[in-house]
Amino acid sequence: MRKRLIATNDPHIQALARIVGETAILYRKEDLMAYDCDGFTVHRHLPRAVVFPNSTEQVAAVVKYCHEHDLPFLARGAGTGLSGGAIPLNGEVVISLTRMKRLLHVDLENRRAVVEPGFVNLKLTNSVAHRGYYYAPDPSSQYCCTIGGNVAENAGGAHCLKYGVTTNHILGLEVVLPNGEVIEIGANGVPDPPGYDLLGLLTGSEGTLGIVTKITVRLLKNPEAKQTVLAYFDEVEDASQTVSDIISAGIVPAALEMMDQTAIEAVEAAAFPVGHPKDIAALLLIEVDGISAGIDEQINDILTICRRHHVREVKVAQSEEERARWWANRKTGFGAMGAISPDYLVQDGVIPRSRLPEVLNEIANISRKYGLRIANIFHAGDGNLHPLVLFDASKPGETERALAAGSECLKACAAVGGSITGEHGVGIEKKEEMRFIFTDEEILAQTAIRDVFNPKNLLNAGKLFPTPGRCVETKRIPSAVK
Amino acid sequence: MSTIINERTDSPACATASLGNYRFPDLPDPSKWADCVHCGMCLESCPTYEQTGQEQHSPRGRVHLMKSVGEGKLELTPDLLDPIFTCLDCRACTTACPADVDVGGLIEQVRGQLRQAVPLTGWKALVSDVFLKGIFPHPSRLDWLGRLLKWYQKSGLQTAARKTGLLRVMPDHLAEMEAILPAIGTPVRKKYQHQPLIKAKGETKRTVAVLTGCVMDVMFSDINEATIRVLTHNGNDVVIVPDQTCCGALHVHAGDRETGRKLAKQNIEAFRDVDHVIVNAAGCGCMLKEYPELFRDDPEWHEKAEQFAAKVEDVSKFLHDTGFKAPKAELNVRLTYHDACHLAHGQGIRQEPRALIESIPGVEMVAMPNADRCCGSAGIYNLTHPEMAQAVLESKMQNVPQEVELISMGNPGCMLQMALGVKKYGRSQKIVHTVQLLDWAYQKEEGKDVRI
Repeated sequence: MRKRLIATNDPHIQALARIVGETAILYRKEDLMAYDCDGFTVHRHLPRAVVFPNSTEQVAAVVKYCHEHDLPFLARGAGTGLSGGAIPLNGEVVISLTRMKRLLHVDLENRRAVVEPGFVNLKLTNSVAHRGYYYAPDPSSQYCCTIGGNVAENAGGAHCLKYGVTTNHILGLEVVLPNGEVIEIGANGVPDPPGYDLLGLLTGSEGTLGIVTKITVRLLKNPEAKQTVLAYFDEVEDASQTVSDIISAGIVPAALEMMDQTAIEAVEAAAFPVGHPKDIAALLLIEVDGISAGIDEQINDILTICRRHHVREVKVAQSEEERARWWANRKTGFGAMGAISPDYLVQDGVIPRSRLPEVLNEIANISRKYGLRIANIFHAGDGNLHPLVLFDASKPGETERALAAGSECLKACAAVGGSITGEHGVGIEKKEEMRFIFTDEEILAQTAIRDVFNPKNLLNAGKLFPTPGRCVETKRIPSAVK
Repeated sequence: MSTIINERTDSPACATASLGNYRFPDLPDPSKWADCVHCGMCLESCPTYEQTGQEQHSPRGRVHLMKSVGEGKLELTPDLLDPIFTCLDCRACTTACPADVDVGGLIEQVRGQLRQAVPLTGWKALVSDVFLKGIFPHPSRLDWLGRLLKWYQKSGLQTAARKTGLLRVMPDHLAEMEAILPAIGTPVRKKYQHQPLIKAKGETKRTVAVLTGCVMDVMFSDINEATIRVLTHNGNDVVIVPDQTCCGALHVHAGDRETGRKLAKQNIEAFRDVDHVIVNAAGCGCMLKEYPELFRDDPEWHEKAEQFAAKVEDVSKFLHDTGFKAPKAELNVRLTYHDACHLAHGQGIRQEPRALIESIPGVEMVAMPNADRCCGSAGIYNLTHPEMAQAVLESKMQNVPQEVELISMGNPGCMLQMALGVKKYGRSQKIVHTVQLLDWAYQKEEGKDVRI
């Protein structure tokens, strides 16, 4: 906040300061160090500078400057991403969008809202809740993550089982292309314009195709009724089978979450304990919502299925307060790992639901093989696993072991016909693992699309795709800038 | 990434441990930053991140920087002052953190290191020396300052200064503070110096000591009086321990942990023979409870500090937990409650003060959105960082409901800051301490004429 004068000889920093203003740029090591990683802390690199534009015009001017001077750059929201998408690997100019955080327009008649990219996910729901609406995608970091970041990563969340991920809720985007040009896709929020699905392409492009500066999102009407169930199991297998049976019974829960014993140990040792028994093998958190009629029947069916699979204890939330406590406990689960381990690395594999017990077994084997604890907190309903590999980065070799264990978890997912990411993105973390599911040719086809938008590859280079194999190498990633 | 702890052996007489680039005694506790997994759940809880959108002004970013110094990646340079000292130390991040990272405690430890590596110079050093070392720790000098202020208010000088525009020569934020100075009364400590025990009304259930505080007793002696009346009304004999002193919170917040320890020792000794230390200033209460943190390297005093801390209780929680008498007289007033950071986030006390207020017949409580958001007072932060304090205050005032007559809270710093907010943003609310409300209700019950 303190007003400072720009004290550097770097002409680029002086030029960028002229664009955004002297109080909207960071360039000293003591400040930049706070930007050397995001929610993925394994790789770190200092940016060249961090700028805080407050308008599309400023973003475009910064991008244009970088484009003209061949400076690598990338966009950053709240920096809660778990795959390293906002880490300035090449000493990028970081374009932080945290000051573009206005809710521009709410149009309940057409059930949509327009936000700036730095607007925090949960704030959108909070802004329209009193009128009976909400924004559906609810990543666990929704208390602080930005909708711009959600678009970049195509973020999911607990309730995406029924309502879909971010891409299902985006109606329009204003985008600054990597050369500084500003385009609009899906203007006026008319969904599904003719031609290629550019919204779909941009959403989940992990900040490699453009920088989103305005987002039109879909709002949903609050469900008339909502019921939440908590079920404790002595065997992981029973919990997995319960998940499978609930879905095959034709019930579509709003959310169907699982936590294993190690995860429960962490959340109970942390700031939002619920009082889960420590000796259970797994718990399920199941939520159904919709019109009131039929909800009780669905709950009864769920309780019956739980009992069929030897549930130790199962209960329905008796109040909104109790429900909120269960969810706070679940949603702060990743951060809670800090209570039992100095570092963690979370993976994001997707598998067919029917293979759950088998893959969880395999993850347990991997844990034993590497001598590292692995906790599991995940969206069981859509087979989106989150193995959390616990390690201590201060112990020599442990980071490498954790990375190898995480990679092997993804291999196990790919081996049963699954995918290496459900909602966290590829970023730096999983780019090599892309080879588990794509051939070099397939990867090249995708990077060819990137090159259409981002021909100089200055924007967020070195993310999302593995460095091409020798025989298909066609372009060089710009070398790291000092 | 590794944490380096090495013993310096060059001077065996006073071997000093170091931790990365932390080189002064009283090292930060690396286990505090080891709990942080960089998830970012703290970001939105932080008022300075809200204002700047910048990571180095966020809890996660600050922890990352402090850890980086411990890992030898950053030095204790003047450029680190801004991120570390712009923190309000409001502890909202501690409430938000899934892993219970003690960001506030870490900030205070690192300020201790930073202040030694980069000592204050010029007028800042002068002001700090005069107030933090020269006045606050000395009751007689505080008393003198109080009398000076009182004379300023009563002699007509205040009126003259305001009329002639003399105040305009002061920086804006100081002139604004002048405008909301409460009327200065007689410090409780002075008043009861020859009567160290104030008997309970009716049967004595227990004896408690009251921390009179430094600024509290000068600026808000009426609240100290109210505290004593409310305590005695509820069957407590009250002692005013003569040797007590300033709690040291301002010093610890400013990185002067040495003076903090000196004051802590004096208080620990002063309250040695009492079972309950009752505090009506959230910031002070939090500091007293955290005295053990100051003595991590001194087992003997650490133990004494632990024993002392166990006796400390905020007046609202103490009254609530000991079954206070619900007032019978009505106070017909509509009010809202502001959670002082060091009460809600620092001590986890949220419901108790509300329960006290709601027990008063006729009181209508209107909930304040984001009631536990910092007001920007933060000790003397509003003097050291006026711009940021102002921005934080503005955002706070937007949440104060329009229709209330009073804003109640449990901390003197907040009271001054919120009074400033009311004046600055053209609002009409009166600022009261929670115990004052109870006091008024009790007085009314006794047939006294109470005008709010």
